[in-house]
Amino acid sequence: MAKEITLEEVRRLAGDLGLTRLTDEHVQQLLRAARTAQQRSAALPTAGLTPADEPAHVYLIDRHVKP
Amino acid sequence: MNELAFLTIAEAADLLRSRKLSSVEYAKALIARIEQHDGGLNAFLRLTPEIALEDARRAEAEIMRGDWRGPLHGVPYGLKDIVDYAGLPTTAHSKILENNVAAADAVVTQKLRAAGGVFMGKLSTHEFALGGPCFDLPWPPARNPWNRDHFCGGSSSGAGAATAAGFLPAAIGSDTGGSIRNPATMCGVAGMKGTYGLVSRRGVFPLAFSLDHVGPLTRTVRDNALMLDAIAGHDPLDPGSANTAAGGYTAELGRGVKGLRIGVIRHFYMQDVKGDPEMVAGIEAALKVLAELGADVREINTAPLGEYAACNRTLLTSEAYAIHERWLQERPQDYGGLTRERLLSGAFVRAADYINAMRVRRKLTQAFHGLFSDIDVVITASAMDPACRIDDPEAIERTYGRQARAPFNVTGGPALAVPVGFSKAGLPLGMQIAGKPFGEALVYRVAHAYEQAVKWVERHPVLDQRESVASRTRAGAAPR
Repeated sequence: MAKEITLEEVRRLAGDLGLTRLTDEHVQQLLRAARTAQQRSAALPTAGLTPADEPAHVYLIDRHVKP
Repeated sequence: MNELAFLTIAEAADLLRSRKLSSVEYAKALIARIEQHDGGLNAFLRLTPEIALEDARRAEAEIMRGDWRGPLHGVPYGLKDIVDYAGLPTTAHSKILENNVAAADAVVTQKLRAAGGVFMGKLSTHEFALGGPCFDLPWPPARNPWNRDHFCGGSSSGAGAATAAGFLPAAIGSDTGGSIRNPATMCGVAGMKGTYGLVSRRGVFPLAFSLDHVGPLTRTVRDNALMLDAIAGHDPLDPGSANTAAGGYTAELGRGVKGLRIGVIRHFYMQDVKGDPEMVAGIEAALKVLAELGADVREINTAPLGEYAACNRTLLTSEAYAIHERWLQERPQDYGGLTRERLLSGAFVRAADYINAMRVRRKLTQAFHGLFSDIDVVITASAMDPACRIDDPEAIERTYGRQARAPFNVTGGPALAVPVGFSKAGLPLGMQIAGKPFGEALVYRVAHAYEQAVKWVERHPVLDQRESVASRTRAGAAPR
């Protein structure tokens, strides 16, 4: 599992994403939110996936292009 | 007053068609009830009596000259305030969209208009169909009609509260991780999340494209089927819309459950998460009723609830963040605290994690749909607990991990929440009945058989007449 994200990392990443108007309170929310997201990602049962397991939604050309 | 407030759509349609009831008098009675009681419930963000009476007068004139359009003709309904109604604001219960006036009707609105429905107003939602019951928004949160100190579920909170309170026989909600079925369970009404793509999402503010569903909340199963009949159907301009025949959802009502194979996913509420004893007892009692009616009730297993939940939330937060990123950059202070935190949880999700969640989704979906080779419908919990207090944010937060609704957003088949009784404190208990994709008619058949056997639908909340609550005072008057 990835190491838990820190407040300083959150501040830096938020700046990189253009989230520059967050107050200190918002950054604390972002820290909690990021840690929650990390836990969710870690809970995904990816161990059983093989390289051939495709996503549920894939690009289908006949849906998007008229012949 | 109560007689009209708790008419079912089916009853109202008979009375309206036979001219024993005036749609204008019906609408006026419900408007009066809403004006009398909604100060304590906050189910409506915007009541629209002028539109309602105009719709009702038109319906009445058409019915009088013999142009009856069908069972929704002259019947009142409301829309969750993420659904567009041309000329009215679609606020999503948010300061961000306070002045966002819809240019056109959503498809679901068009369909209800064409069916002759009487539009009563826009209903409270959790902000952007995501935040919880926040007290830092321009409007206060809806409250539970069975006890207004309690949470009414969400995010289609006003839809649940309004139907249970007898303000409306039907309302439209949306469901991305359980937002129709949660308020249905908390408020003791029926709420259907149909198959993904069955109801057009066009004109409904998105939360997460690949998980969003639009559907009805009603007090009875038959009414729910009637509403779904009216709103389902292919929309070539909705990229997720299913190009398949829709309708006929009342066709199997009354056929009973004898011989039907019902698979019960007990591990969701007895092992993966331990449900509240009263909730578990309610579900188990309902299963006993169905067995006594002749169903073959058997236990089945699927992936642990946590796997579905991780998949649902990874997809939901990533897609929602993509929609909201610009506002989070420019106006983060204009969101309620709960919504902002939930949206921000999508900010740092890696592309690989999103794609892996989609890969997991395919596997979960294939395995889950495979279960239907041996069973006809699935029954499991909806919420693990009766409604908690609305002023207990920690208890509300806990409810999001203590539910079994997200699996059906991930796998996309129909899932209907129905009441299974009441707790000792008088709060509703509920369960879900789920089916294979496009198997709504069978789900309704099972739910209707159960409903007819137990008659929970005959119980209604008793409302008081308090005009204001602290939340409304703090938030200021609702712009009506």
